[in-house]
Amino acid sequence: MAEELVRMEHINKFFGRVQALNDVTLSVRRNEIVGLLGDNGAGKSTLIKILSGAIRADSGDIYIDGGKVDIRNTTDAIAQGIETIYQDSALVTQLSIARNLFLGREPVKGPRLLDRLDQNAMNEVARRLLKQVGITKEIPPTTPISALSGGERQAVAIARAMHFESNLIILDEPTNNLGVDETKGVLRFVRSARDSGHSCIFIAHNIYHVFQVVDRIVVLRRGKKVADDIDPKQTTIEAVESIITGMTITPP
Amino acid sequence: MRDGTLISFLRSLIARPEFGPFVLLIGEIVAFTMRSPAFLSAGNISNSLAFTPELGMIALGMTLLMISGEFDLSVGSVFGFAPIVMWTFYNAHITSLEVGFLIAMAIAAVTGFVNGWLVTRLKIPSFLVTLGMLLVVRGIALYITSGFPQRTWAANSPLMAIIVGEFSIGELRIHTSLLWFILFAIILGYVLTQSKVGNWIQAAGGNPEAARARGVRVSRTKILLFILTAVLSAYAGVTSSIRVSAANPNSGTQYELEVIAMVVIGGTALTGGRGTIIGTVIGVLILRMMRNGIVLIGVPGLAYNIFIGAIILGMMALHSWLERRHHAGT
Repeated sequence: MAEELVRMEHINKFFGRVQALNDVTLSVRRNEIVGLLGDNGAGKSTLIKILSGAIRADSGDIYIDGGKVDIRNTTDAIAQGIETIYQDSALVTQLSIARNLFLGREPVKGPRLLDRLDQNAMNEVARRLLKQVGITKEIPPTTPISALSGGERQAVAIARAMHFESNLIILDEPTNNLGVDETKGVLRFVRSARDSGHSCIFIAHNIYHVFQVVDRIVVLRRGKKVADDIDPKQTTIEAVESIITGMTITPP
Repeated sequence: MRDGTLISFLRSLIARPEFGPFVLLIGEIVAFTMRSPAFLSAGNISNSLAFTPELGMIALGMTLLMISGEFDLSVGSVFGFAPIVMWTFYNAHITSLEVGFLIAMAIAAVTGFVNGWLVTRLKIPSFLVTLGMLLVVRGIALYITSGFPQRTWAANSPLMAIIVGEFSIGELRIHTSLLWFILFAIILGYVLTQSKVGNWIQAAGGNPEAARARGVRVSRTKILLFILTAVLSAYAGVTSSIRVSAANPNSGTQYELEVIAMVVIGGTALTGGRGTIIGTVIGVLILRMMRNGIVLIGVPGLAYNIFIGAIILGMMALHSWLERRHHAGT
């Protein structure tokens, strides 16, 4: 539990004259789910966009497993084992579940010249993964993403992150626009991701959802980190809310 | 087959995107045959099948290109230009016909590469890039020939028989170009549905950002498809010039629109991400048979475009209706 997986150190980011992030340091340990909270404009999204390669920090360093890394784009982040799952979870809606799961890393069989997809293997793994992330409904892996619900799409994205051994899965507002059952599903996937050895950063407006799954809560306010070590088991939602809005200065 | 499996088989058949175009094709054949029995005569079928593969080959390339989210308006110009190159080299005794053929294909590949490079690197929309290329290539063809057709009758090379030789099956006269078209369709159908590259083509058109984030080489895939489309267009142009014994710098004019019409009628989305080779083959047959059948049943040839336009509008309406019904509630 103590081993540190990712560490972002002294991150600064300006948008014009507005300082979005002010010397923020964030670390995530192995097998840990960190809840990242903050009001609108607090800098949560900017921080994780830097980690996922969508934007670059003006200054600051990122360490993975103790080694300093340079994340210039999303491909770099994925190569470093950091997978980000957005609301519209970066899937190709026209393609099937199995084809999305393996996109860019398709297994090939037979002579190389024929470049032939190993569709049996893809479907087999996809079927197993879907079960693993808790989709109990019988959905054939050849179903196109466009036929899935929002929660099922999140599940596919999470399954992909789990299968390709992403060390850190970032979930940016994964429960927005989801129904009650689908939200439960996503929270369940997050727990199962931790159980199978992945770390997560969980960002959500809904503090109740965060409280249900995370090990530790980090709070940002106006680009600064104002709390780092809140244990959801030993605090109340009201106390965290007051930290987010700035009613109290220091966390316990 | 048991009743249950038969019904589910039929249902999956109806759910296929090619089903609509397929019904239209069958309907067309039935209607034309009822009005004019000559429609299904060996002579008429032979005639229809002579030209069909040439447009069809361009349509095959265009299908993959459109699924990847781009299209190419310069195919008609390349169709006219490639045979000009080949025959000019041959007639001027610079090279043999075979070498001239290879040079023509190489030049076509370069135009495809330039199209793809401008679209993917400089991020200029393919409409503008290939419109420019349409004018440049046609202009070069007209300039180097001074607008005159090139001689083609002096040649006698085995290459000509390979590309578009003639043989008979019973009363049917078949050109080898039909066999090449079928072979290309099978190969490209395999590439699209069975290969890793095929997955990349569909992803590039469906959600390029997501594909790129997964490590798919979107730009490279698109450039290769621009090259493929240009080379197939050039090959079709060479085929045509040998078959009709003329290399006219104006041939292929407006083929780009007819080919794009064939591809979208076959169910490929203009916006990319979705489409099939079988659909395109059906789309090619629908438009070619329409042109042929309309003349046979006595509609003035000039009215042809009215029917083509109506078919395009009708098929687009059908596809959009099916699409909305499929994704109701999302």
